Amino acid sequence: MIATLLTRVRYGAVIAIGVVVAVLPLLTGDRYLIGKVLVFVALNLIIVSGLALVFGFAGQISLGHAAFCGLGAYTTGFLVTTLDWPPLLGVVAAVLISGLGGLALALPSLRLKGHYLAMATLGFNEIMSVLFVEMDAVTGGNNGLSGIPYFSVAGARFDTPALNYWLVWGVAAVVLALAYNIVRGRPGRAMRALHGSEIGALASGVDTTRLKVQVFGLSAAFAGLAGALYAHSVGFVSPTTFSLETSVILVAMVVIGGSGSLAGPVMAAVVLTLVPYADALVPGLSADTVALMQDWEADVYGILMIGVIILAPGGLGRLLVSRRDRRVAEAGEAA
Amino acid sequence: MSSDALLLVSGLHVGYGHVPVVRGVSLEVGTGEMVTLIGANGAGKSTLLKALAGLVRPSAGSVTLDGEDVTGAPPERLVRKGLALVPEGRMLFGPMTVAENLAVGAHTRRPRDPGVAEDRDRVCELFPVLAERADQSAATLSGGEQQMLAIGRALMSRPRILLLDEPSLGLAPRVIGAIFSALDRLRADGLGILLVEQDAKLALKHSDRGHVLRAGRIALGGSAEELIANDDVRLIYLGAWHGTE
Ligand SMILES: Nc1ncnc2c1ncn2[C@@H]1O[C@H](COP(=O)(O)OP(=O)(O)OP(=O)(O)O)[C@@H](O)[C@H]1O
Ligand SMILES: [Mg+2]
Repeated sequence: MIATLLTRVRYGAVIAIGVVVAVLPLLTGDRYLIGKVLVFVALNLIIVSGLALVFGFAGQISLGHAAFCGLGAYTTGFLVTTLDWPPLLGVVAAVLISGLGGLALALPSLRLKGHYLAMATLGFNEIMSVLFVEMDAVTGGNNGLSGIPYFSVAGARFDTPALNYWLVWGVAAVVLALAYNIVRGRPGRAMRALHGSEIGALASGVDTTRLKVQVFGLSAAFAGLAGALYAHSVGFVSPTTFSLETSVILVAMVVIGGSGSLAGPVMAAVVLTLVPYADALVPGLSADTVALMQDWEADVYGILMIGVIILAPGGLGRLLVSRRDRRVAEAGEAA
Repeated sequence: MSSDALLLVSGLHVGYGHVPVVRGVSLEVGTGEMVTLIGANGAGKSTLLKALAGLVRPSAGSVTLDGEDVTGAPPERLVRKGLALVPEGRMLFGPMTVAENLAVGAHTRRPRDPGVAEDRDRVCELFPVLAERADQSAATLSGGEQQMLAIGRALMSRPRILLLDEPSLGLAPRVIGAIFSALDRLRADGLGILLVEQDAKLALKHSDRGHVLRAGRIALGGSAEELIANDDVRLIYLGAWHGTE
């Protein structure tokens, strides 16, 4: 009874949030909010969905997802501006290249036990940061690539901030649904089995290494997709966007959100993405305060991450789940 | 040894690091045949079963499954080829429901395979209590129910050969009886069974043949009747000093 009620409340909340997100561009014409800030929230949701799967499934963190994001952004940026490809093909190529890059990185490092993946991804991000600057002919070096058009497909142009907002949020919704299905479906069940008993899972024919590699490849493809949509949203890519610092901020969202759920990292991604853009949401906030918050962004997230690891190892998602379970249990006893 | 056996193990060596545990074991199990492996604690029985299921890599020797060499194959390939292990200590997925535990047992099969539902029905018919407890978490089951679930999970891959590691451990005689009669039925349907058991008398009564494993080697082998009649086996493994039978 209580459980189905809670499920209904949760579905209701998801639908309500969906409606608010969908009608927002009709209520406000704020180009900064609709054209940038909330698009960045959706893009980070796409990346964090994948990172949450990697954290929850493989128990690993990636310090290279900003680089996969950059790989996607530069791929479509180059193909569309320099080679005149249609944006759809540019985005598809971005997803494929980042996904394959993710598989190539995960395959050797996930075969070994331990935190080789974190090391490999850290090195990957540093190498890609250098390549984004040095491969001048493709990436435009320090100047980056500019003049990237809004996304369009078969005559449908997403060439206003509102249309682009709907496109990116639409993609984010699909990615979230996909991630949710993976957690709830066969792969998620196999991974919960692995956490229940590794021998039991292996004896049942669960190929754990393969599962982890696939999930990492998918998460890299998600990051590439987000990067490609970023390029088409802002029309410009530059190397500093995809630094190791960005990777750390992305991982912070997942760690703070927790490994137990998708909802935790999703909420953390929304809140932490909005913090540096508080001026767009809170009227009358002084520019100095906002600048200060942006300067200390990575540091604040680092401290938050440490705080969560010490005070609530399961993350915010776990905290919510256990609070809810407790409530259900108490209700059951009372009945 | 006939070469058309379902499972053919020949000269198998298995160890952990440089410590040899199984040292040159050869045995075979045919379709619809139940073979029991008895031996003292630490003789290497579980290690042998783990190696056959692909959980530990053998260092020498060969394993043939249905005529195909599967030495050193990973567990998922062996499960797909029709070999399933009911591990020592059951190794269930405690927080997951009975139904989910069974579903993971069918992990290697296509999700829409109609045979999966058939096999779930067959398992629930074999152990009706699992149907009653379908939505309960595995951790809340009794020991006997857990063992039934462990066997049911293994059956969900529709194996042709089943390896069982001490299924009777810690269970009441009535429950053990239910489990062994289920094994009898499975075997009558053509399943090959390799059984490791502490209760050697009970296991041999239900088996065609048996082997005694001593310090990683097969010390003795023969038909179940021969082993039950054998003086050494009676003395060491059948508790003959109690004057039973
Ligand atoms: N993972 C392991 N690493 C190292 N040594 C192991 C490992 N597992 C088992 N051994 C050793 O291998 C030997 C055989 O163990 P095994 O579990 O195969 O025996 P067993 O015949 O199943 O015994 P039991 O009747 O107690 O279950 C033992 O000496 C044990 O200490
Ligand atoms: Mg054992």
